[in-house]
Amino acid sequence: MNAAFSWRAFALRRALRLAILLPLVALCAFLLVSASPIDPVGALVGAEVMHVGVEQQAAIAHKWGLDQPPAERFLRWFGNALQGDLGRSMIFDDEVIDVIGERLLASLALMALAWTLSGLIGFGLGILAGALEGSLWDRLIRGYAFVLASAPTFWIAILLLLFFAVQLGWAPFCCAAPPGVLPDEATLLQRLHHIALPALTLSLLGVAQVTLYTRDKVREVMASDYALLSFAQGESRLGVARRHALRNAALPALTLQFASLSELFGGSILAETVFTYPGLGAATVDAGTRGDAPLLLGIALFAALFVFAGNTLGDVLARWLDPRHSRAARNDMAADA
Amino acid sequence: MSLRFLSLLLATTFSLSAPVALHAAPRTTLVLAVSGEPAYGYDPVKGWGRYGNTLFQSTLLKRDAKLNIVGDLATEWKASADRKLWTVKLREDVKFSDGRPLTAEDVAFTFETTRKEAGTVDLTVLESVRAVDARSVEFRLTQPRVTFLNMMVTLGIVPKHAYGPDYGQKPIGSGPFRLVSWAQGQQLIIEPNPNHHGSKPAFTRITFLFTKEDATYAAARAGQLDLAAVPATLAANVPPNMKRVAVDTVDNRGLLFPMQPAKGEKTPNGATIGNDVTADLAIRQAVNLSLDRKALAAGVLNGFGSPAWGPADGLPWDNPEQRLPDTNPAAARELLLRAGWKPSTSASTSANASGALEKDGVIARFTIVYPASDGTRQALALAAADMIRKSGIQVDVAGKAWDEIKLLAHSNVVVFGWGSHDPQEIYNLFSAGASGKGYFNAGYYRNATVNANLEKAQQAASLQESLPHWRAAAWDGKTGFGMKGDATWAWLVNLDHVYFVNPCLDIGPRQIEPHGHGFPVTWNLQDWRWTCN
Repeated sequence: MNAAFSWRAFALRRALRLAILLPLVALCAFLLVSASPIDPVGALVGAEVMHVGVEQQAAIAHKWGLDQPPAERFLRWFGNALQGDLGRSMIFDDEVIDVIGERLLASLALMALAWTLSGLIGFGLGILAGALEGSLWDRLIRGYAFVLASAPTFWIAILLLLFFAVQLGWAPFCCAAPPGVLPDEATLLQRLHHIALPALTLSLLGVAQVTLYTRDKVREVMASDYALLSFAQGESRLGVARRHALRNAALPALTLQFASLSELFGGSILAETVFTYPGLGAATVDAGTRGDAPLLLGIALFAALFVFAGNTLGDVLARWLDPRHSRAARNDMAADA
Repeated sequence: MSLRFLSLLLATTFSLSAPVALHAAPRTTLVLAVSGEPAYGYDPVKGWGRYGNTLFQSTLLKRDAKLNIVGDLATEWKASADRKLWTVKLREDVKFSDGRPLTAEDVAFTFETTRKEAGTVDLTVLESVRAVDARSVEFRLTQPRVTFLNMMVTLGIVPKHAYGPDYGQKPIGSGPFRLVSWAQGQQLIIEPNPNHHGSKPAFTRITFLFTKEDATYAAARAGQLDLAAVPATLAANVPPNMKRVAVDTVDNRGLLFPMQPAKGEKTPNGATIGNDVTADLAIRQAVNLSLDRKALAAGVLNGFGSPAWGPADGLPWDNPEQRLPDTNPAAARELLLRAGWKPSTSASTSANASGALEKDGVIARFTIVYPASDGTRQALALAAADMIRKSGIQVDVAGKAWDEIKLLAHSNVVVFGWGSHDPQEIYNLFSAGASGKGYFNAGYYRNATVNANLEKAQQAASLQESLPHWRAAAWDGKTGFGMKGDATWAWLVNLDHVYFVNPCLDIGPRQIEPHGHGFPVTWNLQDWRWTCN
């Protein structure tokens, strides 16, 4: 075993990968937004097209640099971005970094809640289904997971909105605070009340994957020789699942949960749009549909960074939690010292 | 048992935070959902308040319920003999919400800043503006233009002493309201401005929710809104405890005709100009005669609309004289035959499978192009095509993206929508000088008499004096852009703007609303009253 693991090499490799990834993401986002048929000036002017003459439209295009060739626009943006200036959003007429920053906290709270919920529920259901393979529970849980995995987020979101907000009147239909209540006046209970349904929607969708993977892993463990030995010693199925399958399934579930951050991010955009939740979602949709290149690039960069950080964190945790990896790592550190 | 307990718990928890719907005393708060949140904030310089209520700022002039122009900050306004210099006198008792007085300096500053800002307010006609003294302002224009008045109606005056990049987030103005809180993407909360010079609002707090259509409708059904703007597709299902108010508009849809014959002419971006079929007046009038506009309003708009006869139905500069009776495909065919269009001969039947009329080898045939993203325009195009075919014209229908329409608009019939409180729109749609500038006069219409009438209108000393000239441009008894004249458009319908309103809320008289559904309903927000106890 000479493949000793080095944290330093790991960090370097990841940093290099990030340094290549971010410019590529920015370039792709820019190519997409410039290839789209949206005319940013027209989108900015909107219904005011009647009052805004051609000279004024040219002035708008000039102000935002839209009269310059795309390559030049991208290179200038890239140069500024390297110095930490992500530019100015056309539709919000504000620094991109401020537009994203304002909305980020709300989105992060929503995603963190949904991520934790989906992880816990999904893992629990997966263990249950795997341990009781072939039972009614298993079939119900699998059926539920398949339906969720194939249902589009916005559709589930609208169904939940109709049922809980309109039919039952339990949940609010929009926003992060009740209508007419100042943001600072909103109580914790009110905030939780408003985040509950979007978070639930978002977590429901994450549940399916974790459940199915965990179930598979548990099934594998239940069919192993050491599980057979436990059965022979009189252990029940749930007992074996608790003693053996839980730990074995935890690691892949954790990795998967970190790997699913990209879907979580995408799902949150849709859920936020349906529930009028004030996170990055609405800003992303606006940036895309109205051709606001600087904002879209900023959000794409941020999303890439977010997903990349999630995956890296997942890898680090996996190595750290798995004794096989951590022994190698400790040896490696000892060697370094 | 435990499930029942849980749901009971949830129900009681959430009912604590539910809005108070069963209040006994007259309400002092309102919740409205009219959409139209300005992403850039409440800054008039950048385009806030172009229609509806400027809320936080006041304007030099304003429009009353009948769309007459009346003074707000201005007590007098008049144009010089050459119409290039406008002098405006201000009232003296106006204060901004921070207590400082509003002077001519602020007015000059607002117009000057807006002119320089490359935003969505077009002040290119303004050459210069200056404060003559504390109470009077002079505007110098590059050319006579009576529609400059519209700028005085829509541009809210900002304070010179408190204007900066963050103004849109924390506006200070002399309007009827003051901003309490704006959570972007969610809600705007406002309260009366105690320093306002006009009528005092009856509500101590008004909340605007910026929900999407679906959520707005859900909220209205849940009884949480006092007023909601809803699309015509949802208008039939009025929630219990609300009433429906359908407002007349000039938010119109119509068919634009290319007016020139196809001679191979192109625009600078390579779009073909002209269409040999629609260049014939008989074809354009036949289309106008064969349409059944009432059926379009009833069928396509579910009754939430009315027939459209021109670009500004019901507005002071509209000329009803230009109208022709419609729903008469037989008369349309008669007109075509008289104009030399003949039933197709057997020789050309392969090219003319539908048996459309022909004239000198040209088949009476055109394509109606509509933006594929707009379901209403698609339905209008399809239904109109069916009606027009009865007169002997073959009509094809094609959905396209806007960037394609930009190239097709000068050589095909296109479903466009306009509608404004500003007669400048008439000028932009029909003056030869505006030909092909964006979507202005996309048909390249040229008529010297109409041009002369439009210029006379712009050179009038007041909107009132300009009215006869706008009307004459549509139809002066001999010619005009209207149906009896050159029939430059076949207007189809005006969309109703539908609102669900709490029956206890009196929102006063309605203006005929322009293109753009939602915010215009707030034009008299300060006069809204609660009528129940």
